[in-house]
Amino acid sequence: MSGRHRWVSRRALLKGVLAGAAVSVGLPWLELFWDGKARAGGLFPKRFGLFFWGNGVHPARWVPQGEGAAWALSEQLAPLAGVKDVITVVSGMEVKVPNAIPHASGAAGILSGAALRVEGEDNGFAAASVDQVVAAAIGQDTRFRSIEYGAEPGSGLSYSSASSRNPVESSPYQLFDRVFGAGFRAPGEVAQVDPRLALRRSVLDAVREDAAALQAQVGAADRARLDQHMTSIRALELRLARLEQDPPALAACARPLAAPLADYPPVDGRAQVSAKNRIMCDLGALALACDQARVLSNFMTSPVNNILFPGATAGHHQLTHDEPGDQPQVHAIVLQVMEELAYMVEALRAVPEGEGTLLDSCALLATSDVSYGRTHSLDEFPIILAGGAGGALRQGLHYRSTTRESASKVHLTLLRALGVPAASFGEGASAAYDTLSAIEA
Amino acid sequence: MLALGSPCLGGCAPAQDPTAAETPDLGAQDISSNDLSSEGLSPDDLSGQDTADEGAQDAADGGGDGGPPGPLLPLDEVVYVRQPPVMRRLTAQQYGNALRDVFGEDVVVPARLEPDGRVGGMKALGVAQAAVSGRGVELYEAAALEVAAQVMGDPQLRARVVRCAPTGVADEGCMGEVLGALGRRLWRRPLTAEEVDKLVRLSAGAADTLGSFEEGLGFGVAALLQSPWFLYRVEAGDAQGRLDAWSLASRLSFLLWDTGPDEALLVAAQAGELSTEAVLLGQAQRLLADPRARVGVRAFFSDLYELDRLDELTKASEVFPHMSDEVGPSAREETLRGIEDLVFDERGDWRQIMTRRKTFLNRKLAAIYNVQAPAREGFGEVELPLEVPRRGLLGQVSVLALSAHPVSTSATLRGVFVRTKLLCQVVPPPPAGLDTSIPEATGEAPTLRDRLREHLESPYCASCHGFTDPVGLALEPFDGIGRYRTRDHDVLIDGSGELDGRAFDGPQQMYEAVRDHERFGLCLAQKLYQYATAHEVVAGGAPMVEALGARFVAGGHDVQGLLLTLIASPAFREVSTGQEGQP
Repeated sequence: MSGRHRWVSRRALLKGVLAGAAVSVGLPWLELFWDGKARAGGLFPKRFGLFFWGNGVHPARWVPQGEGAAWALSEQLAPLAGVKDVITVVSGMEVKVPNAIPHASGAAGILSGAALRVEGEDNGFAAASVDQVVAAAIGQDTRFRSIEYGAEPGSGLSYSSASSRNPVESSPYQLFDRVFGAGFRAPGEVAQVDPRLALRRSVLDAVREDAAALQAQVGAADRARLDQHMTSIRALELRLARLEQDPPALAACARPLAAPLADYPPVDGRAQVSAKNRIMCDLGALALACDQARVLSNFMTSPVNNILFPGATAGHHQLTHDEPGDQPQVHAIVLQVMEELAYMVEALRAVPEGEGTLLDSCALLATSDVSYGRTHSLDEFPIILAGGAGGALRQGLHYRSTTRESASKVHLTLLRALGVPAASFGEGASAAYDTLSAIEA
Repeated sequence: MLALGSPCLGGCAPAQDPTAAETPDLGAQDISSNDLSSEGLSPDDLSGQDTADEGAQDAADGGGDGGPPGPLLPLDEVVYVRQPPVMRRLTAQQYGNALRDVFGEDVVVPARLEPDGRVGGMKALGVAQAAVSGRGVELYEAAALEVAAQVMGDPQLRARVVRCAPTGVADEGCMGEVLGALGRRLWRRPLTAEEVDKLVRLSAGAADTLGSFEEGLGFGVAALLQSPWFLYRVEAGDAQGRLDAWSLASRLSFLLWDTGPDEALLVAAQAGELSTEAVLLGQAQRLLADPRARVGVRAFFSDLYELDRLDELTKASEVFPHMSDEVGPSAREETLRGIEDLVFDERGDWRQIMTRRKTFLNRKLAAIYNVQAPAREGFGEVELPLEVPRRGLLGQVSVLALSAHPVSTSATLRGVFVRTKLLCQVVPPPPAGLDTSIPEATGEAPTLRDRLREHLESPYCASCHGFTDPVGLALEPFDGIGRYRTRDHDVLIDGSGELDGRAFDGPQQMYEAVRDHERFGLCLAQKLYQYATAHEVVAGGAPMVEALGARFVAGGHDVQGLLLTLIASPAFREVSTGQEGQP
């Protein structure tokens, strides 16, 4: 996928968007603000990105040949050809948690580094997911602590703690409205401070006092729930306070000229995963460019998702188990997923920042809930990294583990690259105390 | 006690249709289908269980007098370990219902709120356990501001809540009157003088800043709506373990109307009358007689059968030409109307839900069922044709399409629905690390039954799938969207099987086998207990659940009767005291 081709397709895509809203298509949407507006020099904040998809890959067709800087894309990684020089494939890693419940265990293991919490017939994460660990460290200075989205309606797997799960935005319009609707101020836009911001903060103050009073009356578990609630209220207050200050003046920041469609209904019973994903990736990149958040999680599809992908004769998950032989349909779906990952990487790379691009300051982790979808295996786990984390990560490599190292090492490497002073990541057999020095700059 | 029903507890066999029992979404969002906790209710624990089945039959047929399930202990004498009070977040539906109660039907309720996840297959349990997310707080703030702006900006809506004439921009007296009255309804208890003062100070300050009484008051309203006292249903008990009047009024009203108490119920609570059983039951009967009780009963069954998932029904339209966005919501309406009709209009034996020919269809569903549409627009009553074995709940598009794949049926998913939702049995997830593919259809093995045969005959696989699949295979005459067919890949469908010792041939005998199953009535009582109290069935609560179930069975499976029995029981009215050290 060449950069040029990308712009063409982006514009074509936008035409579809605008046609629905009866808006003139004379203005290209995003690039108007980016072309030739690169700001010279300057320091840019480090950002974290996550790209998550459900139902894994086929490891035999996934793992690249060659190691280090001399490697070739595998069959299933082929769609990443256009971004090969900015990604690093990490293979041979293992998610070292008990595989108690297929898909759920792997997702908890790869995202939180901890075994799935199973209580009776229910389950969930036992620890915060990696995006929220990062957000706790670098999400304090932006309007949003983190942004979660996903093309498939669902809840995503972003956990602030075991009992608190952040819902994802699955509507492009809602994502747009949240970031660029009321309350967004582009650089240079002169706006008087809205007195309502301070009033909203005083309301939140009062609400927090109510919660504190209520805590005295309830049991320990509910006190902890209220603690979470109060922490989130406090975070919202801080964000409102930031709105009263001047917005960050990053040159690449711009208010999108048009809103996405309000709805992307299924076409012939098939969800518009790709169309939604691409618009949300564009919006997400712009949100980072405007420093509205520094943590961006894309839960494109979920574990066990049964989405009918274009060309498939059955749902994704059903195919991973029912399709015989080499599973050509599952393979085709993995390729479609990789095309979407390529789009996200390109969207970040399309934003000029200083002498380089937004992607240079990002550390993007792309992974899934299982390795081989057919057997729910957790070894030979699919992991792709993109971006340079502000010069802390090497790019364009294939790192091959021959000792089935814990996948948590990747997370610890990313945390350190982002400047988070973490001593370890993960728990028990999954815990990592060392980084993968081969991919560190 | 161990949960009973699944022969595959302990080392479970591999699944050949793993889409079924896998947990499709972490944190209990989707098909979390298993309900009995491991310490749960077992029929072995039921007194007189040897005759329970027979007794159930007699009771149902004869109206409850002739059945011999043994003497029913008064509920006060059933051993019951009081359960702790719970703190439930309002579901999105309850949030909207409460706003419409207080601000009027015209208020536009914000659609985007914290999502309600399921625990143990029910949102009612999920909202008692999950914490509000960071994003949820943001959504609640936006919703509160939106509603406050609406109410204060629309003269008609405003007139409903502002009854006094403000004498100035920051008329504190008038503000206090409005906020105190609103607060009592929204927080479902009277506010203390300090609480009102605080809200008035906030509103008056905002009014001064913005130069508007209405805008200022809007901030007070937004504070009421964001407060945990509104967002959570807070419960408290007294020293004797009785739920206090406000908590009891809320339990009652949310159970029966899916919203907060009305004025009459608040007055009764304030007067301290609800501690009297007769008054409590009188209020319960008043609420049940009101049309809003249909909202409450719909909410329960919608939660139980996960009918909200019909909004996201995915079916390949090239395989199912009838598929459209209308199908899912229409199917939900059919199921809920049928339940409403049985529970309220006919007040019939609940077990008829398995075998009724009477149903309610719109044009879309009539086309899928291949019957004449009963009405040009909307829903009308239909008597399903005798020739097609479509009867009751398991013959409805809602269950048939939800418990299936996007392009095909799933015997396992349908079996899991029957086992977990209708019989409260446990189906564990499949083990990991196995190739779980089933063979594709061939000339020699064209039907799903043929394709599943190898696995059903392997003892390893069959220990789980023998439990779920035969029930589901009986529904193979209905395709993945619920259309009737007699052939799968041009071969006649074999619908024979067995349910816990009772053989059946075809869907109709299967419906009857489920209806007559000893756990069928007990299961509904258990689900209702969980829904009303937000407690899983734990050891200390099990005998009470059993007793409620036995009464439901003995009383002719009357759902309204079950509601009243539950409301009068200690499980509903009492909580453990001393919250320190509670789990």
